Amino acid sequence: MSGLELKKVCKSYGAVEVIKDLSLQIESGEFVVFVGPSGCGKSTLLRMIAGLEDCSGGTVEIGGEDVTDAEPSDRGIAMVFQSYALYPHMSVRDNIGFGLSLAKTPKAEMNARVEEAAKILQLTDYLDRKPKALSGGQRQRVAIGRAIVRNPKVFLFDEPLSNLDAALRAKMRLELTELHANLNVTMVYVTHDQVEAMTMADKIVVLNKGVIEQVGKPMDLYNNPATAFVAGFIGSPQMNLLEGAAARKLGAEIYGIRPEHIDISRESGLWRSTVRQIERLGNDAILYLDVEDVGSLTVTTDGQTDVVIGDMLFATPQPQNEHRFPTIAR
Amino acid sequence: MKQLRPAILGCITLVVFCVIFVVPFFFIALQAVKDRQGSSLLNFSWPSETQLWQNLVDVVQARDYQLLLAYFNSTVITVFSVTGLVIFAAMVGYVLQRRPSKWNKYVNFAVLAGLMIPPAVVPTIWLLQQIGLFKTIHGMILIEIAYNLSFSILLYRAFIATVPRDLDEAARIDGAKPLQLFFRVILPLLKPVTVTNIVVQSIAIFNDFTNPLYYLPGKDNVTVQLTLYNFQSQFSTQYHLLFMNILLVTIPPLIVFIFFNKQIVEGMTAGAVKG
Amino acid sequence: MPTAQIEKKPRKTSGSPYPLWFFLPAGVIYGVLFLVPTFASLYFSLTRWNLFNSTFIGFENFLSFVQEPFLIKGLINTVIFAVSTALLKTIIGLALGILLTSNIRMRGLLRTIAFFPILVSTIGIGITFAVMMHPTRGIINVSLELIGIDGPGWLTDPTLALYSVAFVEVWRGVGLASVIFIAGLVSIPRDYYEAARIDGATKWQQFKRITLPLVQPATATVMILSFVYGLRSFELIWTMTKGGPGFSSDVIASVIYKQYQAGFYGLSTAGNVILFILIAVMVMPLVAYFNRREVDL
Repeated sequence: MSGLELKKVCKSYGAVEVIKDLSLQIESGEFVVFVGPSGCGKSTLLRMIAGLEDCSGGTVEIGGEDVTDAEPSDRGIAMVFQSYALYPHMSVRDNIGFGLSLAKTPKAEMNARVEEAAKILQLTDYLDRKPKALSGGQRQRVAIGRAIVRNPKVFLFDEPLSNLDAALRAKMRLELTELHANLNVTMVYVTHDQVEAMTMADKIVVLNKGVIEQVGKPMDLYNNPATAFVAGFIGSPQMNLLEGAAARKLGAEIYGIRPEHIDISRESGLWRSTVRQIERLGNDAILYLDVEDVGSLTVTTDGQTDVVIGDMLFATPQPQNEHRFPTIAR
Repeated sequence: MKQLRPAILGCITLVVFCVIFVVPFFFIALQAVKDRQGSSLLNFSWPSETQLWQNLVDVVQARDYQLLLAYFNSTVITVFSVTGLVIFAAMVGYVLQRRPSKWNKYVNFAVLAGLMIPPAVVPTIWLLQQIGLFKTIHGMILIEIAYNLSFSILLYRAFIATVPRDLDEAARIDGAKPLQLFFRVILPLLKPVTVTNIVVQSIAIFNDFTNPLYYLPGKDNVTVQLTLYNFQSQFSTQYHLLFMNILLVTIPPLIVFIFFNKQIVEGMTAGAVKG
Repeated sequence: MPTAQIEKKPRKTSGSPYPLWFFLPAGVIYGVLFLVPTFASLYFSLTRWNLFNSTFIGFENFLSFVQEPFLIKGLINTVIFAVSTALLKTIIGLALGILLTSNIRMRGLLRTIAFFPILVSTIGIGITFAVMMHPTRGIINVSLELIGIDGPGWLTDPTLALYSVAFVEVWRGVGLASVIFIAGLVSIPRDYYEAARIDGATKWQQFKRITLPLVQPATATVMILSFVYGLRSFELIWTMTKGGPGFSSDVIASVIYKQYQAGFYGLSTAGNVILFILIAVMVMPLVAYFNRREVDL
């Protein structure tokens, strides 16, 4: 069990730099989530840790050992792929045990370890099935089982839940969190879904265009986003980000206020606006307001609100929840 | 009327197809069971006396059981060259598809050249003599591999493109070395295209006439297609035996075709379209 | 659970998981038995050669091919044979392909029947047809006689022999051609035809404006495949006519064999080189043409 350290790693394909001089420290036993929009380099970074991509520069250390040039199988890592990458011609048992059989593990030990992993993941009844005959959630668990059985220092997950439907995804999120609590090992998890990041992570790493925007606990990122990019990426619905004259009037290049931090009233307030659209989610309602000189504003309010399209409303940001950023471009 | 049309069209086509495509095979079978006099008429008259067994025995015994020897030789050549083709072509197709390297354009060119360029016959004979493989079965096997590699590589490359790379990476993380990765993970997944390859290539090699004619002369090295060719002159007055021979030589591909009809059609069209 | 079973020292990456030496076994066999003779043929075609010794004679062998009547005949016959079989296979193959994808009963059976001849030994087919084309006793002429036609000597008439063999080659290969066309035809989405029908297109217009352009990759495949095959054709011609009568149905491939048998190895090899050049000169433009058309689509 041990941590992971990236020192000034970079990756370029020809002239295109995908990862730029990135350094990151991950503590032993931490659940770290790399999050960012597609193309931000998060998957590449994970694959560099796995050894599936070479580093163009810098070093990767796992458990204090420099593994920059080591084979993927010699790094003490295990990886769960988005597609699960189960070997279709092997039974669940052989899938989970494949790595052990390659390492010429004695049969008895191999069986014991496969059975144990299967028990943890409730796969015992399915050990002799082929992956084809399993449901999405079960396949996912086999992929995790294949990782567990290696006893890795670090687990790597590459968007493992994105092929599942919404209900199953929520369930697997919980299972993964519990698995992490039980195994108490380092996990690195890549996703583009900020909900997964917020719910599962001990530490979130927000990536954008190959550099780290911010590293921190989920609520730290929510409460104190370091950049406008992080502010826009974390939180749902998205934070309102105002630029130009409207922002300067409020004393910032970019002014940010979350939808849930705007109060509305029919009588008075900072911004006079008309209701363009309402989305009712039950508990909450999301209002899309048109504000003169400011533009569009998203506001979350009580689900039972009696506001209708075309109403005139006043919107006021809560002063203690305002965010001010220098500039959005990096 | 509307529902009748497909049936009528089907029946008409069937009759026409039978006349055009089936009659020659029927003709072969018919002549093969006639006696010498009946077959010399070369017509469709029903045999006055069928002597299937007698003809069969006669053909097999002809020229010191040459047909049996030919069957043995052809089987050896087919089995070994197809085995080689499958393994070597899969290896090439796999690396060619998976790894972009500066060699790829040469390999692709060689594949294309192998499909198009007619082999230079006499220089090949000269070369085989130099390395002591002329008139040998193993020389013939290597020739069949060399000439049929291109087609097999194309089939494999196209199929390997459909095997997700994630599997390779998962296997690497599981600690698979290149050979283990190929033989334990990839090759088993190629089974459908391997079956296609085996079926199509074994028919092609079993039916090959030109190459054994050039590279495998000699009485002891005779292959089934060569027996046919040899018997053509010998049996010019014994058509019933000639056709019995054709029948016997046609049966193996026929059996293979009955069992693997789908793979053959798929393989031949896929290879052709992608090539 | 024991932790971290992998205690090996990290080592320098040994290389790609896709080692280039996988090319080696195939490469050696192909290189030695195909490439070396092909390159050697370029030299030997310029020699007078009898396996023991070779004398360099320049382009004399090639000159023979354009001067000696029987060699010129072989050259012309090769082109005639390749062009006629390729065109017929394409046209008939497309027609059969359309018929066998249309609303018709017993489609599977019909496809199988048409496809089967390609799998049967060419030699067997050659012998069978040679017998069936016998001028007096062959069943073709006997049948023609029944309806009062005096059939020609299919393989004995020098002006006809090559075409008779070409006919058999088309018979043999048209099934494969139609199966390739069928694969192309079923990949054309039905929507196009439905849209065209709503636009009021007639059957002929649908064929010309939708089927023909969209089935083009299959057309290219059939054409190129049959053309290359036609240029290289040997087995059928050799079993049916041996190039005869005289040398009226000789093609380059049969000339190569005859010259080899007669011991003129240099001349035989020159035939090989000419065949190679012929394929390059005639097929490359075809490939280029179809590639360009495909980009336009």
